[in-house]
Amino acid sequence: MTRSRVTSTVILIVGLASLFFYLRGRPTDNASPRPQATGPQELVATVRSEPRSFNRLVARDRTSNLVSLLLHGKLVRINLETQEVEPALAERWSSSADGRIWTLALRRGVAFSDGQPFTSADVLFSLEAAYDPKVASPLADSLMIDGQPLEVAAPDDHSVVITFPAPFGPGVRLLDNLVVLPRHKLRQALTAGTLREAWGLAANPADMAGLGPFVLREYRPGDRLVFARNPHYWRKDDTGRQLPYLDRLVLEIVPDQNAEMLRLEGGQADLTTGEVRPDDLAAIRKAAADGRLALHDLGVGLDPDFLWFNLTDAFGRSHPQKSWMQQREFRSAVSLAVDREAFANTVYLGGGIPVSGPVTTGNRAWHDPSIPLVPYDPARARALLAEVGLRDRDGNGVLDTPGGAPAGFALLTQKGNTLRERSAAFIQEDLRKVGLVVDVVTLEQPAVIERLTKGDYEAIYFGTQASDTDPAMNLDFWRSSGAFHAWNPGQSVPATPWERRIDELMQAQVRSQDPSERVRLFGDVQRLFAQEQPAIYFVAPRIAIATSRRVVGARPALIHPMVLWSADTLSVAPVPSP
Amino acid sequence: MAVSVTHPLVRYMARRAVFAAMLVVLVSSGAMLLARVAPGDFTSEMLTEGASRTTMARERERLGLDRSIASSYVEWARRTSRLDFGESFKFGRPVGALVAERAGNTAALALAALVVATVIGLPLGVVAGTRSGVVPSIIRAASIVGLSLPPLVLAILLSWAAARAGWWPGASTTNPGGILWWSLDRARLLVLPVCALAIPVAATLERLQARAIRDALDEPCLLAASARGIPIARLRWRHALRLSLTPVLSVYGLMAGSLLSGSFAVEVVMAWPGLGRLMYEALLARDVNLVAGCAAAGAVFVAAGTLASDIAAAWADPRVREGA
Repeated sequence: MTRSRVTSTVILIVGLASLFFYLRGRPTDNASPRPQATGPQELVATVRSEPRSFNRLVARDRTSNLVSLLLHGKLVRINLETQEVEPALAERWSSSADGRIWTLALRRGVAFSDGQPFTSADVLFSLEAAYDPKVASPLADSLMIDGQPLEVAAPDDHSVVITFPAPFGPGVRLLDNLVVLPRHKLRQALTAGTLREAWGLAANPADMAGLGPFVLREYRPGDRLVFARNPHYWRKDDTGRQLPYLDRLVLEIVPDQNAEMLRLEGGQADLTTGEVRPDDLAAIRKAAADGRLALHDLGVGLDPDFLWFNLTDAFGRSHPQKSWMQQREFRSAVSLAVDREAFANTVYLGGGIPVSGPVTTGNRAWHDPSIPLVPYDPARARALLAEVGLRDRDGNGVLDTPGGAPAGFALLTQKGNTLRERSAAFIQEDLRKVGLVVDVVTLEQPAVIERLTKGDYEAIYFGTQASDTDPAMNLDFWRSSGAFHAWNPGQSVPATPWERRIDELMQAQVRSQDPSERVRLFGDVQRLFAQEQPAIYFVAPRIAIATSRRVVGARPALIHPMVLWSADTLSVAPVPSP
Repeated sequence: MAVSVTHPLVRYMARRAVFAAMLVVLVSSGAMLLARVAPGDFTSEMLTEGASRTTMARERERLGLDRSIASSYVEWARRTSRLDFGESFKFGRPVGALVAERAGNTAALALAALVVATVIGLPLGVVAGTRSGVVPSIIRAASIVGLSLPPLVLAILLSWAAARAGWWPGASTTNPGGILWWSLDRARLLVLPVCALAIPVAATLERLQARAIRDALDEPCLLAASARGIPIARLRWRHALRLSLTPVLSVYGLMAGSLLSGSFAVEVVMAWPGLGRLMYEALLARDVNLVAGCAAAGAVFVAAGTLASDIAAAWADPRVREGA
C-alpha cells in the first residue's frame, strides 16, 4: 500500500468517525419538533408516491385514496379507529325489513368548496359516474353486490333511496366506497364521455370542488401537494367550532422510506402515512423516549403475509409427480414445521405476533379466539410428510418423493420487500430442518402477480392490504370465484367440498341481517379455513406509527391512511418540554 | 467567415450527430421493448387493490397491453416518429410533458452540481498537481474518499447527517408565487442533492486535472517558458492550466451527459423530482410509454454530452478530427 493511500484511509476513517460521533451525540434544536405557539396551523406529512389522478373514479392507489379523503366527502364513512360505520353527508338512515332498501337523509345546508349546495342530485350523479362504462372506474366493483349495481332514487333534494340487488349484511358500509362528486362541475364531462380524463394531474386546482375538509391549493409534480382548509366544510366539533383545525396540510412526496424516517426524526415532517418498519422501531423508540417523537402502538396488524401452494387443477395435471404438494397433510406439515415464535423474534425483531389464520386479533369484531395457534412440532410435521410419501430414503437428511427426487418446492416472493425476503429465508431454513428443500426466488411485485395470475408457480409468500375489516367486503379472498382466492382463483364451480362449504357460509353471512349470526357464520368459515390451511399464516406484525410531538388529535388506525383518515380533527400545538 | 460543409470539423460533427440520433432511437426502442417483455404489467397491482379480473382485462385492453409486442412496438414507433410519446399509464399525462418537466429539474440539479464540481475540482487539481507537501496530500486523500463513495451511499450519508443536524430544508407551505420565490425555494432544496452529486465529480476532476497539469508542465514549451523566467504562478495558472484542459474537456461532456440523464439514487433518496426518479417509478410500475420516454431523454442527454466532448476535443486537437 502506498503512503498516500494509507494517509487517505486514515483520514477517511477519522473523518467519518468524527462526523458520526459528533452527530450521534448532538441534540440539536432543529432535531426537536418545531414549536408553534401562534400563526397558521400547518402540518407536513410524507407520502411514498404521488397520486395517479385527482379523479378518484379512475385511480385506487393509496395516495389517490388519501387525496380523495382530503378533498371529497362520503355519505357514510368507516371510522377506522372503531371500525364502525358513522354518519357523514348522510346524517341518518333506515332500511327495509329484508335489508335491500335503504333510505338516507342527507344533511341540510352543506355546500361544496366552491359554495354550490350539495343535494341528492350529486349522489345520483356520483353513482351514475362510477358505473358509467366509458369511465370504466375500478371503483365500480366495490359498489356492486354479486356483480350487480345499486339502484338509487332521489325523492327530494335531501334524501336518497338506495336499493341493493340482494340483501347485504354490511348494509350502508358499502357506501364508504362511494365518493360524492360535484354534479355541477362534472356533468358535462360525463355526458361528453370525457369524465375519465377530467381532473387529471394536470388539472387546475381552482377548477376542482369537493365536500372534503380541504381543497387542493398547489400540486408540484414529484415534490408536494399543498392543501388549504375548505371554508365550506360541513363538519363541526363538539364545541361547535368548524373543522378542520388545520389551515394547511402539506403532503411531501418522499419515495424512499429511509429518507421518510430521517425527515420524521429530524423534525422536517410531522408524520408519515405508513407504519414504522421493525428495523426502524428501536431508533423511533429512542426518539420517543428522548421526547422528540410520539410513538403509537396500534396492536396486531390486520393483514399478515402468508404462504400458499398452487392448488389449481392445471398445476395438478401438469405436475402429477408433485401431487403431494396439493394435499392437506403437506400443508399442515409445513405449518407445523415453522417455529412462529422464533419467526416473530428473528424476522420481525420482536415486533410480531404468531398467528395461524388471516383474521388477527386486530380485527376486533371478527376474530374468532377459539381457533388454536398451530404449534411448532417438527416431529409431527415429519410424520405428516411421511403420510404423503415424502421420506428420507437415502439417509442424506433430505426427504425424497416416491419417485426418488429430493422433495421441495420453489417459493416466490417479492424482491425489495425486506420483510418478505427475510420471512422466505426463515421458512426455507425451518423446512430444511424437516428435510424439505426450498428454493427462494425473489421477483419484482408485478412479476410475482403475473406468475400468480398465470398459475405459473409452486408456492408464493406474499400479502395484501386490507381495506375493510368486514369479511363481506373481502369476498375476493374468501369465495372460490374470487380474483384473490390466491391458491386457486376464479373457480367456476368450487374445486373442493370445503371450498363449496366456505362459499355457502360466506353467502349466508353476506345475506344475513343479524350481526351475531354473521359473526357465528364467519367463525365457522375461520374454523374450516384453519383445518384446511389453503394459506398458511405465521406471524402478524405489531403495527406502530410515529408522529411529531406537536401533532394533536391523532387517532391512528390499522388501515390506511392510518392517521390522515381523520385529518379534519388533527391540529398542531406547541411542544411541551420533555 | 463561412465554414464549408467539406470542412473536416463540420463533417466530423455531422458523423457524430448521426451516431447520436441512432443512439437515441436504439436506447428508447430497447427500453420500450424491455419494459413490455418484462414479467407483469401496469395492471398487475390492481389485483392487490381488489379489482376483479374483468376490470383488469378491461384496463389492459384500454392501455393496449393485450396486443402483441410487435404490434405495440410498431404503433409506438409510428407515434414517436411524430414526436408523440403517448400517455403515461401511471400519471395519465402526456409523456412528453412529464419528461420535459422532470428533465428541467434534473438539468437544474446536474448543472449546479457541475458548476460546483468544476469550481472545486479544477483548482484543487492544479494545486495537487503542481505542489508537494501536506496540502496536496490532503487533497489527494479527500479525492480518493470522494471517488470511493458511490452516490447512493453519499446521498444516504448526507441525508442522515442533514436530518440529524437539522440542516434538511423543510417543506415550505406558503407560496407567494413569482419566479424569484420559486428560484429561491429550488436553490434551498438543491443544496443537499448537489453536494451528493458534485463530490464524486469534483474528485474525478481533481484527479484528472492534477495528472494533466503535471504532464503539461513537462511539455517542452512550458519548460522553455520557465527557463525564460516567467513567474511560476503565471506559468501554472495561465499557460499550464490552458494546456492541461484538453484531456479534462474530453471527459467533461460525458460527465455532463451522464449527470443530465438523471441520477436515480440521489433523486430517490433525496426526493428530488428528476428524470432518474421518474424512470425508476416508471420501471416499477411497468409504465411502458414512460420508460421509453425517460430512456429517450436520458439518451439525448448522453448523446449531447458525448457530442459536446467530441467537438471540444476535435476543436482543441486537430489530430482528433483528422483521424476520426
